[in-house]
Amino acid sequence: MTQLPRPRLLVITGKGGVGKSTVSAALALALARTGQRTLLCEVNSGGGATALLGYPRAGPELSRLDGELWSVDVRPAEAMREYVLSKIRFQRVYRTVFENPLVRAFLRFIPSLAETVMLGKVCWHLRETDGPRKRWDAVVLDAPATGHALTFLGVPQVLLDTLPPGTMAEEASWMRDMLVDPKVTGALVVALPEELPVLESMELAAGLRARHLALLAVVLNQATAPRFLPEEVKALAALPRLQALARGHAEEAERTQDAASRLGTLGAPVLELPRLYQGTMDQAAVAGLGATLLAGLEGRT
Amino acid sequence: MRPLAEALRSRGVVVCVGPGGVGKTTLAAALALQGAALGRNSLVCTIDPARRLASALGLAELGNLARPISAAELRAADIRLAAPVEAMMLDMKQSWDELIARSAPPQQRDRILANRFYQSLSSALAGSQEYIALEKLWELHASGKHQLVVLDTPPTAHARDFLDAPARVIDFLGTDTAKWLLKPALRGAKLGFRLVGLGGNLISRTLSGIVGGQTLADLAAFLLAMSSLNDEFQERARAVSALLASEETVVVLVTGPAAERREEAVRFHQSLLEQHLNVAAVVVNQVHAGVGPEEAAASTRLPEPLRGKLERTISEANSLAQADAHGVRVLREAVAPTPLLTVPRFPGEVHDLGALWRAGAYLVADATPRETLAAAAAAPGA
Repeated sequence: MTQLPRPRLLVITGKGGVGKSTVSAALALALARTGQRTLLCEVNSGGGATALLGYPRAGPELSRLDGELWSVDVRPAEAMREYVLSKIRFQRVYRTVFENPLVRAFLRFIPSLAETVMLGKVCWHLRETDGPRKRWDAVVLDAPATGHALTFLGVPQVLLDTLPPGTMAEEASWMRDMLVDPKVTGALVVALPEELPVLESMELAAGLRARHLALLAVVLNQATAPRFLPEEVKALAALPRLQALARGHAEEAERTQDAASRLGTLGAPVLELPRLYQGTMDQAAVAGLGATLLAGLEGRT
Repeated sequence: MRPLAEALRSRGVVVCVGPGGVGKTTLAAALALQGAALGRNSLVCTIDPARRLASALGLAELGNLARPISAAELRAADIRLAAPVEAMMLDMKQSWDELIARSAPPQQRDRILANRFYQSLSSALAGSQEYIALEKLWELHASGKHQLVVLDTPPTAHARDFLDAPARVIDFLGTDTAKWLLKPALRGAKLGFRLVGLGGNLISRTLSGIVGGQTLADLAAFLLAMSSLNDEFQERARAVSALLASEETVVVLVTGPAAERREEAVRFHQSLLEQHLNVAAVVVNQVHAGVGPEEAAASTRLPEPLRGKLERTISEANSLAQADAHGVRVLREAVAPTPLLTVPRFPGEVHDLGALWRAGAYLVADATPRETLAAAAAAPGA
């Protein structure tokens, strides 16, 4: 396989409701179908991205969906437990200390602890090995929406800036190094051809840059290709409902072009995903989007 | 039955909740306009409006200040209101600072505001954005300046994040837990974190090993400062909870017709009912309209390639409309007897006052489903 280097951690983010989970599921499926062992990783989202592929919702345990495709929904309580047990190794101590209700209440007071342990688990999966090779060829992270994503991905740096040296700061340091290494991590920002999502994508891209994360591509979801010529819309003057339909379509196409050109200024390729005209997505539809995405990504590399 | 018109006329607070990306902010603004049209002095408090929506509402920047929506703009959009309407954009950070400034004793105030744990509070503490929005709502409502306050809320995937916000924040900042934990340190009149009485050294050693000893000490200092917040703070938090549950307040759950959103909305609705909140309506926004057969038939008389293009566009529009209609039916059954209203998807984006007004008309409409109306009309004796 003449696979060109591609970061192993693909972070999918964008405004709420733009189709992050769809893009994550599609990309993970497409990667797995090319024979790469792929982990679709959700962050305390209830496993919705996995469900889009027609499988049961992902839970906190790794589960093999099909062939090379696996999924997991990283949850704070389980991630905390795994993290602590990896540090202290004693189940009994864990129970005495961390299952004490007062300690649990106290732990919630520590800012970003949940994010830290969840991000820590994601990064830990990247380090996992299977014999001489890395266990995962790709980890597709269905990250939270803009603001939460920036908080989430910025946690290691914030910890490094604010925490005195110690265990948590050490953890933060290797996590940060992984995230800012373009050979390891690349972000895909998902947008829609509408004002707010485009605007938010621009801000998000700036936020990622400020955190030194590499922007791999912008995905313009629900894109509409031009269909009607202006004179065709005009010719429908006698049929108002049909004219409105044609005009609506032409405007969607215009918004798509406009969004693509604005997003194009971010210095990463803009991959357009066509709008699908079906109520519920099935695996075939998601697979189609995934193939388009992967082709777009590889066209660049 | 016109559930939202009823609510806008008789209640003091309308809270719009729901997941992100469904047009909650837009509909909150549309509701405030309708409230003013019904003669009530109204205010919409938005969280993060699109720039064009913000400028349509006459808002240039964040700042916790309510500003009237320009009468000239309203006239230009041919909107006639029976009462004034104002809009504001909530500034989360400023609202927190004001809350601390109001509740903390002077000697502790600066210590809290400068503490790094406080500075990451609004992003770190789940529910703190939701809480501050509700706290602001209480303040706006209590000021009595407006008869109707419509609150937009941060996008929340889990209803719990929203509903538990006051309780969580009371727990966090009300500091009963903190006081208990810090008792030994307080008694010893020195800052430090010793979990004496929690099983001794094992616990504090383990915690120190995980988060670092200095972190624990710094956090203890923060909690100690926060524990000085006066009783007003706790009272306010309780008042916020009480207002949310009172007869004054109704909740409007805004969602979209797509399958992913639907499931989330049903769970959300369930949680709202479990918390005994008054859910005035579920609003399904951006529902696609189809093209009727008669209108579609007109395309067959057109020349190619226009005819083919139109037929394709009509078939796409009808697929979307069919899927949405199915989604609305499923949702209507799932949330019954809570009334469900639909707002069509408008071509383009709803950002100017005229578009807000048109969307608002659907919000104050009758919630009885058309099928039911048809059945009632056909029933003998109806």
